[in-house]
Amino acid sequence: MADFLDPWVDDRPADGVFRVHSRIYTDPGLFEREQRCVFGRTWVFLGLESQLPGPRRWLSTRIGSVRVLVTRDGEGRLHAHLNACRHKGAMLARRETGEARQLVCPYHGWVYDLAGKCTSVKDERTGNYAAGFGDDHDLVALPRFATYKGLMFGSLSAEVPPLETVLGDIRPLLDLALEQGPDGMEFVPGRIVFRYRANWKLQLENGTDFYHLTSTHAAFMDVMNQRRQGAGNQEARQFDWHKRLQQRAGTFHFEHGHAAVWMDQAEAEKRPIYPAIDEIRRRVGDVRADWMLKVRGISLFPNLQIADGASLTLRTFHPLAVDLTEVRYYCLAPVGEAEALRAWRLRQFEDFFNVSGLATPDDVVIYEDCQQGFATSPGWLQGTARGHGLLREGGNEAAEELGVRPLATVIGDFRVQNETTLHPAYREWRRLMGAAEEREADHA
Amino acid sequence: MRELPDFGAASRREALAIATELIAYEAALLDERRWDEWLALLLPDCEYWVPTWIAEDELASDPRRHLSHIYYATRAPLEDRIARIRSGRAAAVVPLRRSAHVMSNTLIESCGPDRIDTRSAMLCHNYDPHGETVDVLFGWTRHTLRLGEPGWRIARKKTVLLNDTMPSSVDIYSL
Repeated sequence: MADFLDPWVDDRPADGVFRVHSRIYTDPGLFEREQRCVFGRTWVFLGLESQLPGPRRWLSTRIGSVRVLVTRDGEGRLHAHLNACRHKGAMLARRETGEARQLVCPYHGWVYDLAGKCTSVKDERTGNYAAGFGDDHDLVALPRFATYKGLMFGSLSAEVPPLETVLGDIRPLLDLALEQGPDGMEFVPGRIVFRYRANWKLQLENGTDFYHLTSTHAAFMDVMNQRRQGAGNQEARQFDWHKRLQQRAGTFHFEHGHAAVWMDQAEAEKRPIYPAIDEIRRRVGDVRADWMLKVRGISLFPNLQIADGASLTLRTFHPLAVDLTEVRYYCLAPVGEAEALRAWRLRQFEDFFNVSGLATPDDVVIYEDCQQGFATSPGWLQGTARGHGLLREGGNEAAEELGVRPLATVIGDFRVQNETTLHPAYREWRRLMGAAEEREADHA
Repeated sequence: MRELPDFGAASRREALAIATELIAYEAALLDERRWDEWLALLLPDCEYWVPTWIAEDELASDPRRHLSHIYYATRAPLEDRIARIRSGRAAAVVPLRRSAHVMSNTLIESCGPDRIDTRSAMLCHNYDPHGETVDVLFGWTRHTLRLGEPGWRIARKKTVLLNDTMPSSVDIYSL
């Protein structure tokens, strides 16, 4: 049994070694196990509360391959259930979002209220049910559901620590994205969905990877050079990467697999929140306002990332098969943002992020190339080593300034580029995969 | 029920002939990678828009308030894209996918002496010779054509993609 786990994450801090094996991206057995042990046993992001803007709204979402239905009842209280009728398992909600007094299964017409209670088994009186049919026909509630400042999370296992504990000290970093608007944040209407033919962990890794920028996005940077001469898409107000590459940068490692990267901001005036910065300073203080202007990326294990570099995006990625992943990009913005700022934000976002943008498609096609490379089984990879020599336990001046208590930190020139952000993620991955193993052994 | 269009007007017939040929010609320029000619077919103030879907049957209607796949108020940002395609320095364009458009069912929505608004069915098959995969984008395209000194040119192009679960890369040559 141990061979299922042990060889795939080589974590020897005393020797300065941290590496992962290519098989974690290709092995169908490990993938199936991830569904149960990772996605089945930890908190997973479901959506924003603002996606359900009033009573009797609902949102269809997922945890791994499990379909989840989040609802607000008549009093506006949130509930999360499996999106499956108790009768024959048909998906109850067939759209992404909606508003309804009740949900009626399209197959045999069972009716549920927006708290998940079954209010009608169609023609029950004439059904000649025997005693075994019982009286519990309500939707299956997610074992755990909780929110943090407008973010909704669920867990398929009841045996998880409270959400606040699992988010832990990354919360101040989340706040920097979630408190940019005085009335909260929302998704700009519209979203990007795409699929790539590679493992979900390629997206996990890319989210905090500064190292690829100057090579993967070389053509993007060429275009940026042209724009500085006045050509091309001036409306996107894109950043000067030559200035960015001179900045101080760093990494925070947190418990439960989370990590964050940051970089000082050379061109704060290009951020669409900049015209509103006085209001932000009054509300959150100078230190946190300055941190909102910095380049930041958060990776919340297993599959939520909030990047605030080229523009502010929230993205999730869902494993569909060992070599197939669905990615959803949302443009996150302050509620009630002025129209001119919203348009500025959108043009910046679309320029970089979409698969129809100038940068994201280069990442995504390379994920597919990585998957091809893994299939030739190169064995131990060397992609989690950069910055390891600067890794320090505990905080540093940046952590102190922001008031976070990370497990470990890196700080230095931007070119350090900090691949160590993957250490917490893969430690948590290994812990979850292994912890389940122990429980199964106990029950054997 | 709305009134049926006046299919008989001579100016309308003429507009349809002009639009059908110009739209097919644009598609050929894209498929044959004749980028400079393609850009020249677009007016400098050409608006270029590919909206996202907000919900299953709700399309983004305002590029200043809703997310777009692509929104450009002028032609200049398209020049960025051509430069990127030509650079050979982006994995998503090396090798470039091969595209074959079918633009069809072109209708005249309105026309005047120097302006034609059209709607066409759009279908584009793409082959990625690196990944050895085929993807298909389809939907409809609204072109606005304007008559100026050099002749008829594209003043606006809006592409509505109906299959919006996207492949790993989507670019102007398949729209």
